[in-house]
Amino acid sequence: MPPPNTPEEGLLPPQSEPSRIASILATATPPPTNSSLVQPSSPEAANTAAPTSQEDPALLEIDYQILEYLDTVDETLLCPVCKTPFHSPVTTTCGHTFCAWCINRALDIQPTCPIDRQPLTKTRDYHRPPLIIKDQLDRLKVKCPNKGCDHVCSREHLDAHYERRCEYTMVRCPDSKCKKRIARRHVQEPASTCMHREVSCRYCDEKVALVDLNTHYDYLCSGATTKCSACDATVVLHRMEKHCADDCPEPQIRCKWHIAGCKIFDKRYLVQEHEDGCPYEIIGELLKQRAEDRRIIDNLTDRLVTLETERREHQERRARRRELSRQATNTSRGADAIDLSAPDPSSFFFDMEWRPELANVTSGENRTWGSPEDYMLARFERLESRMEDLSKQVVEMDAHQSMSMLQQIMPLNQQLVELGSKVGVLNMHTTWLMNMQRHNHIQQRAGAASASTSGLSNSGMVSSNEINNNAVRPPSEGGLPYRSTSRRNSDGRGEPPPRL
Amino acid sequence: MAGFATKRLGKELSKINSNSLPPGIELVSADNFEEWFLDIRVLDNNPLYLNQIYRLKFRFSAQYPIEPPEVTFVKLADRPIPIHPHIYSNGIICLDLLGQQGWSPVQNVESVCMSLQSMLTGNSKNERPAGDEEFVRANRLRPKDIDFYYDDNNV
Repeated sequence: MPPPNTPEEGLLPPQSEPSRIASILATATPPPTNSSLVQPSSPEAANTAAPTSQEDPALLEIDYQILEYLDTVDETLLCPVCKTPFHSPVTTTCGHTFCAWCINRALDIQPTCPIDRQPLTKTRDYHRPPLIIKDQLDRLKVKCPNKGCDHVCSREHLDAHYERRCEYTMVRCPDSKCKKRIARRHVQEPASTCMHREVSCRYCDEKVALVDLNTHYDYLCSGATTKCSACDATVVLHRMEKHCADDCPEPQIRCKWHIAGCKIFDKRYLVQEHEDGCPYEIIGELLKQRAEDRRIIDNLTDRLVTLETERREHQERRARRRELSRQATNTSRGADAIDLSAPDPSSFFFDMEWRPELANVTSGENRTWGSPEDYMLARFERLESRMEDLSKQVVEMDAHQSMSMLQQIMPLNQQLVELGSKVGVLNMHTTWLMNMQRHNHIQQRAGAASASTSGLSNSGMVSSNEINNNAVRPPSEGGLPYRSTSRRNSDGRGEPPPRL
Repeated sequence: MAGFATKRLGKELSKINSNSLPPGIELVSADNFEEWFLDIRVLDNNPLYLNQIYRLKFRFSAQYPIEPPEVTFVKLADRPIPIHPHIYSNGIICLDLLGQQGWSPVQNVESVCMSLQSMLTGNSKNERPAGDEEFVRANRLRPKDIDFYYDDNNV
């Protein structure tokens, strides 16, 4: 849970805290472990801190208890045990919320709720706290815990910043054998050499870890400094040039108002004294102002020129475009005629100089394309006219289609009507046949009842035979052969079938 | 985790410095995160403690606030040990709140002081605990190692 000491351990929580606490904190906390960068002057501390036990995590965890919050956090969001905003909070069965780590520790000592002393069992009596608590915690604005980093973000984004982006996060030394940590920004590419390797200082013979070398040169090394030959100041060697150019009071320089006419040329410190009350200052200021004005005027002139040329170009282009569009309407009218007479699209395209190179080859006086816009415009217009043609064709096609449809459908319709009438005739014939049969049947029954001499069974057989005979050849009785008349009947529907 | 007590005490200290303590309680010194001194006095007119100020010593272990602090009265020239049936004359306090069982991590320096304040306020017996002399003579244990028997619920 809460991580081992981080380099920032001694940092202060809220700004309101008096500075006294700062000193107290600083003295009370052990020297930062795991960090050789922050205290480069004490290699022993770094050595003892080199993680001797447990697996070495890629990153040290953020210590949420020392996070610096930007705003004052509402009391209700503070863990009652550690008095800091909850970190991975849990809510107990009795409804109180604590940091998981805090309540675990408290229950180790005494298995009751620290607030109302109800018996609690570790983990089993924990619930997830309401999401609203998490939301509120996520929104708190915090400062990055890394020393030197000024990043401020909402707490939910802190992890991402710390783990992936912050240049000050202490990461593993690029050398896998080295167990020390190094700020991410100090890791150099190609990253394989250990940055804690000791090198001897160029100026004093002290051994310094590679990562601390610059700090050593700038602030700690006694051998790296030298006396400036001109001014007696102690200067770091590799800064000597800069010192002579900018800082050293001895070399003679000109007054900064020399452009205004000041003739002073003396040692730097004298000149600096003089510059405060230099009488040429007013003129110098005026000159500066003038130069500034000049610059603005030049700028404006440049812009004016470019605008002027642009405008002219624009006008030319517009004129050309107008001419082109006039041409295009002419040609497209021509194209209509061609298209109607010969609907072969390829000839159409070639006629219209579809491709610019062709256009150039065949160009007359006006056929050269001045600019891509002109070309696009002409092309667009052609496409438009072609589009119109096509839509006309589509309409035509449509009319043609419907005509031919109509023509094909007409005879079909007639045939359908004819068939309908035939079916009607057939229907009538069937009805007539059925009626006849019924008639026969009734007659036979009557005959059988009157002549009861023959056996019942016999008469049954005979009657059925007769029925069959009648059914098979009814037309023979009616005189006219039924089949031969069927076609004629279809035409004259009114004529009833022959009745017996 | 080392440093936990430090962080918590740092928070308490900053709160004391910004909000100040309730009446009758004053921070005398908090030079480190191991030992603090506070003065308390009783606010009403209890004749036993009238016009007296008492000096309290807090000792914090690294486990604070999981474990209770060790709280005793200190005897100085102008700071006597209050007379009370649960306060031995060497300053050791017999209060369940300060024992392993009665302590809760939600308590803090301020709340302990207020409890002691009210413990004095509520007392009317002008006596020391039973066996005070012998205890003071014989005891070599730290207060937290003494096995008190909290039997009195009235005070």
